[in-house]
Amino acid sequence: MAAGISWRHVLLWALFVGGMCLLPYLVPSGTLRTFIFANYLAIFAMSWDFLSGRTGYISFGHPFLIGIGAYTTAILSYRFHVPVSISIPAAVVTTMLAGTLFFLPALRIRGSYFALVTLAFMELMYQLVQVIRPDLTGGTRGISGVKTLMSGATNNFYLSLGLMAVIAIFLWSLNRTRVGTALSAIGMNEESVRGSGLNTTKLKLFAFMVSAFVAGVGGAFYVHYLGSIAPRALFDINFLFTIIVASLIGGASTIIGPMAGAFFLTFLLEYLRPYLPGTERYFIYGTVALVLFMYQPKGLYQIIVDAAERVRGKPKPEAVRDPAA
Amino acid sequence: MIQVIIQGLLLSGLYSLIAIGFTLIFSVGRVLDLAYGAYLMLGAYVYFYMAQTLGLPMAVGMAAAIAVGALAGSLKYGFIVKPLKGDHVAVEISTLILAVVVQAGIVLIFNDSSKVLQPIVPGVVWIGGAAVTYNVVAATLASWVILGALYLFVRRTLTGRAMQAVSMDIKGAAISGIDPDRVNLITWVISGILGAIAGVFFASYTQLNPSMWVSPLIIAVAVVIVGGIGSIIGTLVVAHIIGFMEVISTTFIAAELRGVFTMLLIIVVLVMMPRGLFGRAEL
Repeated sequence: MAAGISWRHVLLWALFVGGMCLLPYLVPSGTLRTFIFANYLAIFAMSWDFLSGRTGYISFGHPFLIGIGAYTTAILSYRFHVPVSISIPAAVVTTMLAGTLFFLPALRIRGSYFALVTLAFMELMYQLVQVIRPDLTGGTRGISGVKTLMSGATNNFYLSLGLMAVIAIFLWSLNRTRVGTALSAIGMNEESVRGSGLNTTKLKLFAFMVSAFVAGVGGAFYVHYLGSIAPRALFDINFLFTIIVASLIGGASTIIGPMAGAFFLTFLLEYLRPYLPGTERYFIYGTVALVLFMYQPKGLYQIIVDAAERVRGKPKPEAVRDPAA
Repeated sequence: MIQVIIQGLLLSGLYSLIAIGFTLIFSVGRVLDLAYGAYLMLGAYVYFYMAQTLGLPMAVGMAAAIAVGALAGSLKYGFIVKPLKGDHVAVEISTLILAVVVQAGIVLIFNDSSKVLQPIVPGVVWIGGAAVTYNVVAATLASWVILGALYLFVRRTLTGRAMQAVSMDIKGAAISGIDPDRVNLITWVISGILGAIAGVFFASYTQLNPSMWVSPLIIAVAVVIVGGIGSIIGTLVVAHIIGFMEVISTTFIAAELRGVFTMLLIIVVLVMMPRGLFGRAEL
């Protein structure tokens, strides 16, 4: 066992994944589709969180990475009839290259300015996709009829669950290694990390690559699940908002947090649908997110941890606003 | 050619108007207010409701927009910025969430569809083969008047000087008897008012719809980043650079490329010059 991973953890993960596997037998296929979306959102949220939640480099352009992955595989398989077994890995590689592009500003700028550059990346991509080679990208309308990998809710559910579980466990174990610790340390004080002799550039590049890898995998599989792609659905502030809020609501810089946040959000969204059918739903969950963020910037995860400690009677340490959160 | 110059001047005037309230917060409060676009949207919708749905005089509509902008500014400062104590990242994330909440609120009240705002000043004049609406001319003139007034306010009045002091050094200002809290509140209120006015003009230039806050926000961000310093003159200069760049690119290259160059400018300037063109320390 690697450092900090105990058999209790393994058991909990196995219980979680095993429990999820039983879902298709328990819930109707409509609910299953909601779970599929939640699984993908969890992947995106973990990808955002591994970069921004850990290192404090807040990415406002994450849909840029996801979109690159989704568009690459969609164009390859739809326009050039490349088999999916090649187009998806190609999409992941392209996303990682785009992650390097994303990384360059991070070498020189931090904080608010980094967030803004990434926002500009996303908006730039949104406009370029529509203008440059609309014969390939489908312009404003996007592409529909992309080949789907699986048919039926159950198969797609298992696929998304498998992806999410593998990514979650991978990132979770990564977080518990010394690299994970170093990345969180960058979020707290980058100069000190550099001062203690670590190469922060390499560490940051690693975080960007992992984040881009996850975003690419998520984006590519997601487009093959949906079967369609459109610029305003991807390079969109509401999409970005959903990803960020999922991470924050659950608890940034934990892996369980973004996952829980994604499930919480998706189901909140789903249960609000009968009352508020359109974008108005963002009003409720935005407000929930805002209040939660102001009250407990570390999210539901921290609230649960605090509650558990109160039950056990451990003294609660003074709450400190974590700048990385 | 004349057409490009006139269009460029007019668009730049509008952009200066959009950016100035955002710049003000950036220079005095030292935070980026991503919900700034929401002021514009609120102002525009309030004006629309008053002047077009209720049919009240335009002046009443404008006054209501200004009042709502001021209220929004003070609420935002009191409930979000002050409790977060200038934690930049937290302010950015929460103002982004706030912007989406406001957008959803607008959809809830006014529904999703786009609405056309009647021009505040109707009429068209033809100059050198280009149609110039009086409305855009009015927006440009208004922006010049507002910028001038703001410049005088910041330079000449006590409150304005206090704002300058706080923007330079909060502790120093506090020691010399300025209440930074009050100054910040005033700044947020002014920013809200400027945003609301800009919103009315911006909406009459484009259209009224619930996602209209994004593009003016990006313009404001570009102006702040490229201009950097948050001075009124800097805002004016950079708004003109961006305005002309857009007019030139849409006229000579392709109309769809409107925002592309603005975005590229943000990226290039930030990567080449991490402190912006006029170089103030990063947040």
